[in-house]
Amino acid sequence: MKRYLNLYLHFLRFSFSKAMEFRLDFTFRIVMDILYYAVNIMFFKVIFLHTPLVAGWTQEQMMIFVSCYLLVDAIGMTVFSSNMWWLPHHINKGELDYHLIRPVSPLFFLSLKEFSANSFMNLIIASGIMTYALSTYSQTFSIWEVVLLIALILNGTLIYYCCQMLMILPVFWTQSSKGFMDLFFSMGIAMERPDKIYKGWLRVVFTILLPFALIASFPARLFIEKFHWPTFLHLMSVTIGLWMVMLFVWKKGLRVYSSASS
Amino acid sequence: MKWWRHVVAMELRKILAYRSDFWITFLGQTLIQLLVARALWQMIFDAQGVTEMQGFTLEMMSLYYLIVPIGTRILTGESVGFLAREIYEGTFTRYLLYPLSVFQYKTTTYLTYSMFYAFQLLIIYTLFRIFIAQAAFTFTDFGNLLMGIGLFFLAATTYVMMALLIEMISLWADNVWSLIVMLRFFTSFFGGGLIPLTFLPSWTQAALEWTPFPYLISLPARTIMGLSTLGEMGKGVLILSVWIIVFVEFVKLVWKRGQHKYTSVGI
Repeated sequence: MKRYLNLYLHFLRFSFSKAMEFRLDFTFRIVMDILYYAVNIMFFKVIFLHTPLVAGWTQEQMMIFVSCYLLVDAIGMTVFSSNMWWLPHHINKGELDYHLIRPVSPLFFLSLKEFSANSFMNLIIASGIMTYALSTYSQTFSIWEVVLLIALILNGTLIYYCCQMLMILPVFWTQSSKGFMDLFFSMGIAMERPDKIYKGWLRVVFTILLPFALIASFPARLFIEKFHWPTFLHLMSVTIGLWMVMLFVWKKGLRVYSSASS
Repeated sequence: MKWWRHVVAMELRKILAYRSDFWITFLGQTLIQLLVARALWQMIFDAQGVTEMQGFTLEMMSLYYLIVPIGTRILTGESVGFLAREIYEGTFTRYLLYPLSVFQYKTTTYLTYSMFYAFQLLIIYTLFRIFIAQAAFTFTDFGNLLMGIGLFFLAATTYVMMALLIEMISLWADNVWSLIVMLRFFTSFFGGGLIPLTFLPSWTQAALEWTPFPYLISLPARTIMGLSTLGEMGKGVLILSVWIIVFVEFVKLVWKRGQHKYTSVGI
């Protein structure tokens, strides 16, 4: 564990020094993410101009939900998105050997090597939006509820990561340039809407099969509508199941991987 | 002018190289965006107990969100961002050796993608009319569809000029990918990609009137749905044409000033 932590600290140091080489790009990316946050907040502000409730939530409750998915997105962008971008490239070019022969988990190395220092500032901004949403929330809540919310957001990030990996890993078989990455980004919209809007088979799809609705909506719901054991157990069991499926596909993928050298 | 046929053929081969990925992504994107938007608006309509909001019924809203994702792809193409990368990597040199203008070449490759997506829109919209809406596909509907696709092409030409202008900045900056993404965010929100523009406050709609944004997604989509008047279409065509001229002049100016900054790697 200590070895992995030390390794990760090296990744961080290297990523920050690399990001500071491209200062203008660093600034552009911060502005880009601020614009992304603004567009998402404005979308719901505009909807609330025409209705007092969306999926049973008021505007201040919706802000907590929005801040949840912005935070998941910011963590994802900072911690693993750059790595996800390069993963199909490594697989197609047969460049995984470099990672497979190292005495660390290749999944750990390939998923976390590139820490996106550019997005780190945005992680701070997204945290600020959440702090603002919680501080202006009119209902009372305890510090433990906030701790649980943060833990569930981290769990949501894990689901987000697994979903993204499952869209990329078909590259092992298809050898396409991005896998189904574009599809993944389109599916991201399912994460950005409250889960209560999904009914019938669509609910089964977005809460079990492709559980985008669990990423931010379930954590927000457990916070806003008070703790509900069945919802929590659903969230945990789907997370564990998804993680196992992702590991299974990863291992299967490695079996069909063709190296370019060695 | 025969060169463009070869460029189009080459790009089409690229598009269809990974057919299964391409079609799964296309159908998945279209279906998911439609279903999620429909679910959200159904809940809002039900909660409000209304059948119409800002000139849209739920069925019209569904049609709007069917057209918008494909229309956005017609608009934004696929090859935006590559020019900036080629400038950064120093491989831009090859375009300087081609017997045609780099901007003509890039615009042609870009519009090939738009053409392909327009074909998809034609199929999807026809299937929707026949099997889901179960409505007769009249001559007027077909006319609206063609006019809407034409407007999407004009919008795509405007968009590619805006994108080229941003990409030219890479002659000074190392990476402009984030600026291109910002343009997409602006276009999506202020162009009507996220929400129909009639839902925005009236002061925002007034402020956007002379910018290209409302004519990039909203106008073509509304035209296909038969919601635009000839006057609105004429105004849209005029405004987009003026913006195209403005952006082309800016691209020329920036290229003139920036080309001396370019450093190549091999040929």
